[in-house]
Amino acid sequence: MRRTTVAVLAVSLATLLPPDPALGQAGPQQPPSTVGMVVKGKAPVSNAVLAVTLPHPQEATLANGLRVMVLEDHRLPRISFQLIIPGAGGYYDPAAKIGLSGLTAQMMREGTATKSSQQISQALETMSANLNVGSGASGTQATMSGSALTENFGRLFELAADVLLDPSFPADEWDRLKTRTRAGLTQQRTQPQFLAQERFSKVVFGDHPASRVAATPETLDAITRDAMVEWHRTRCVPDHALIAFAGDITLAAARTLVESKIGAWKKAGAPKPPVAEPVPAGPPKAYLIARPGSVQTSFVVGAQSMTRTDPDYVPLTVANRVLGGAMGRLFRHLREEKGYTYGVGSFFSASEHRGQWSASTSVRTDVTEPALNDLLADIDAMRTAPVPEKELNDHKRAIVAGFALSLESPEQLLGYYVQSWMYSLPADYWDKYPALISGVTAEQAQAAASKYWNASRLQIVAVGDAKITETMKKRGPIEMYDADGK
Amino acid sequence: MLRSVKRLVATGPLLLVTALSVAVVFGMAKAAAQTAIKEIKFSDTKLKNGLRVIISEDHAAPVFAIAVNYNVGSRDERKGRTGFAHLFEHMMFKGSENVGPGEHPYLIFSNGGSMNGTTNKDRTLYFEILPANQLDLGLYLEADRMRSLEITGPNLDNQRQAVQEERRLGVDNQPYGKTFEVRDELAYENFAYEHSVIGSMADLSAATVDDVASFFKTYYAPNNAVLSIVGDVDTKATLEKVRRYFESIPSQPAPAVVDMTEPVQTEERRTTLEDSLARLTRLDMVYKIPPSSSPDADALQVLGTVLSNGRSSRFYEAIVRQKELSPSVNAFSGESRGPGLFTVVGIVTPGKAVADLEAAIDAEIERVKTGPIEPWEMEKARNNARSQLVNNLGSALGRAITLGQDALFYDQPGRLNTTAARIAKVTPEDVQRVARQYLVKTGRTVVITVPKAAPPAKGGL
Repeated sequence: MRRTTVAVLAVSLATLLPPDPALGQAGPQQPPSTVGMVVKGKAPVSNAVLAVTLPHPQEATLANGLRVMVLEDHRLPRISFQLIIPGAGGYYDPAAKIGLSGLTAQMMREGTATKSSQQISQALETMSANLNVGSGASGTQATMSGSALTENFGRLFELAADVLLDPSFPADEWDRLKTRTRAGLTQQRTQPQFLAQERFSKVVFGDHPASRVAATPETLDAITRDAMVEWHRTRCVPDHALIAFAGDITLAAARTLVESKIGAWKKAGAPKPPVAEPVPAGPPKAYLIARPGSVQTSFVVGAQSMTRTDPDYVPLTVANRVLGGAMGRLFRHLREEKGYTYGVGSFFSASEHRGQWSASTSVRTDVTEPALNDLLADIDAMRTAPVPEKELNDHKRAIVAGFALSLESPEQLLGYYVQSWMYSLPADYWDKYPALISGVTAEQAQAAASKYWNASRLQIVAVGDAKITETMKKRGPIEMYDADGK
Repeated sequence: MLRSVKRLVATGPLLLVTALSVAVVFGMAKAAAQTAIKEIKFSDTKLKNGLRVIISEDHAAPVFAIAVNYNVGSRDERKGRTGFAHLFEHMMFKGSENVGPGEHPYLIFSNGGSMNGTTNKDRTLYFEILPANQLDLGLYLEADRMRSLEITGPNLDNQRQAVQEERRLGVDNQPYGKTFEVRDELAYENFAYEHSVIGSMADLSAATVDDVASFFKTYYAPNNAVLSIVGDVDTKATLEKVRRYFESIPSQPAPAVVDMTEPVQTEERRTTLEDSLARLTRLDMVYKIPPSSSPDADALQVLGTVLSNGRSSRFYEAIVRQKELSPSVNAFSGESRGPGLFTVVGIVTPGKAVADLEAAIDAEIERVKTGPIEPWEMEKARNNARSQLVNNLGSALGRAITLGQDALFYDQPGRLNTTAARIAKVTPEDVQRVARQYLVKTGRTVVITVPKAAPPAKGGL
């Protein structure tokens, strides 16, 4: 077992001491980077180097193409697994049948040739084990995951194999799932955050599959049992798939388990389904979804990002943390200084194709305009001025030292290595990741912000009372919708 | 000082399959023998100033967690100052003698940790999780604010706004947001539990700096708190540090004991409210139950499992799957130091009647009272308790919170070591008995939330 030592950045106490002791008295001379905060610098911070060693998984490839990965950890009597099937995600749903892959995945655990839906539920829950099959509306892969105490894992895996290889798609369960899904689609439309994200994805990705957030009543009507059977037959194949285990199990045991339980999973011989880049979004506009009775305005502001393997990913990770991470500028400015909001943050996704970057918050209706102005000003400041060194170092250290916390959770560590497999990252990627983050300079962070957060790219979506129409009109050509997306 | 972390991964010849793995591979017909789950060890010390300190070493990962449970919640609030315990929780991040406003969270996050605070009816909890080399930092930050919170008007105004925004986000702008408040106001007569944790907008606006100062003095005393530390620490050295940082904080007279007496309910209470943000009708039913310290609490927990835990539960099978009256029905008995509520919540499927959903729930409750409870249902409850214990073992933070809270609520910090055994002792007859005793119409409150047609939105192009 190869192990690598990663030195977590040392922090020198000096960097925490404000240059001017008068700052401790909350003087007015604070640089903008500490807005909403006063640093007295008296708390004892360790500047010892905490050496963190990341365990590495062991891997093997089976005859049918399936990759097996095991992150062995015997601290607790628990084993979890995740199976990732590229090509079976909502990304590949026919446009008229958005939701097909997700519903197929859900239906897989609704019955097999030998077990009814109730029998599966009862077997799982009696063991207090869980088994989920899912596929995101816009993701490129389907995922099956599960966990159980060691003593029950064999039985869990037997069930999982049955669900994977032999689902029966019972017609009566399909009717029930449709009814539940319809109720869920109705409920979803009462959530301002859903309405905002739905419109934002549409605006940023147009007709590209990345714009998909959920099935619609129309696509639900178009999906048939036959379509699901066919989807499962042609898409749930092992050729490019990974099964990853974490916890109280060895590679040898995992391999034996996989070969004995899903050895019959036949290779299809198909190439890995392709992934296309979305076309760049059109010129920025302001989009308003009028939600009657809304006492807040919920914003999403953003644009397309990059692929996971783009060199810009690392500098944007740092810039994004400075702007919209925990105790980042948006939080300190919009919440701690101005009291406009309870929560604000920025997030970005990156996968085989360009993902999205967005900042989002909810503010009371009457401060919609100043809050939006401040939000956009904070984004802009990241482009126009380099982040001061101390602020940059603090956020870089936050990312790097946070690695120690993930050592608590084998599942979380496994997540890193699943990413490595997904994007063909170098074997030592996570060992070197702290150094990559630490190496980001203020210039690089600013360059990334300039490239991705340029005002000429940022789309603005707001969900709220129609009375904010004038505010939105100041932000560019406006398009208006109701809560049904019409 | 350079530290290295213990090896996390057992190495060895890969083809040597251990006994455990044999069970995994070949023990398909039935479960392998139950793995013994190790008992959680901890030290329990009272400092001279009354602060209770619980330390539990675990060197599995280079991480530790601190939890500070203060013995104050919204139940301690007086009329006209609802929402105060939670508003105060926000003030605890706004600076103390040696730590500037916002510096506490900034130092935690920028050193790789995470932190938060949370308030409920029974306690206020602060916690942080940090890399192992930052023990002094975590203890210093918690001690400084326990000793010397700095309370200013601008900080209060700013956090008042953040809390009012939190209320809008979680209550006023959410479908069914007001349902909880209406439900508790109707179910409880005693003010302590009758009002919501988030409080009313008017009361939040009325809070003054003097209120904050006196609240701090009364409730944020070391003798009114439990400090728990779990993870990659040395007990003896940690206790020395705790004494150094905390022991000189003066104790205060014990706060008044809250009268939790709740008059006996003799008839069903029922109301309907309209909600312009909701699109589907929702049914909430709560039944009065005793506090979590009651000998019946375990049987009530198993009852919740039988009725609504997962898709093998009775509510799911009968009401969601077969009758399709609801996309989901939940039932649970939350933790409560005072008189508790057994809660049943269901959304009504579009096109179905709320009366039918209520009748179906009632029928399932009757079936528990009269019919048998299957052995697998009891096994499910036992395995749930075991799984929860293992999950707790995997999280320094979860364990720190549980140890501290159990010390505060039950004076039994090690209670989690007995949970699985206690649940295993519950019999099917116990479950039937508590259902018959507590799930009665005369002890329940029913709230029906119906969508209110909103006026059409103005605007459009």
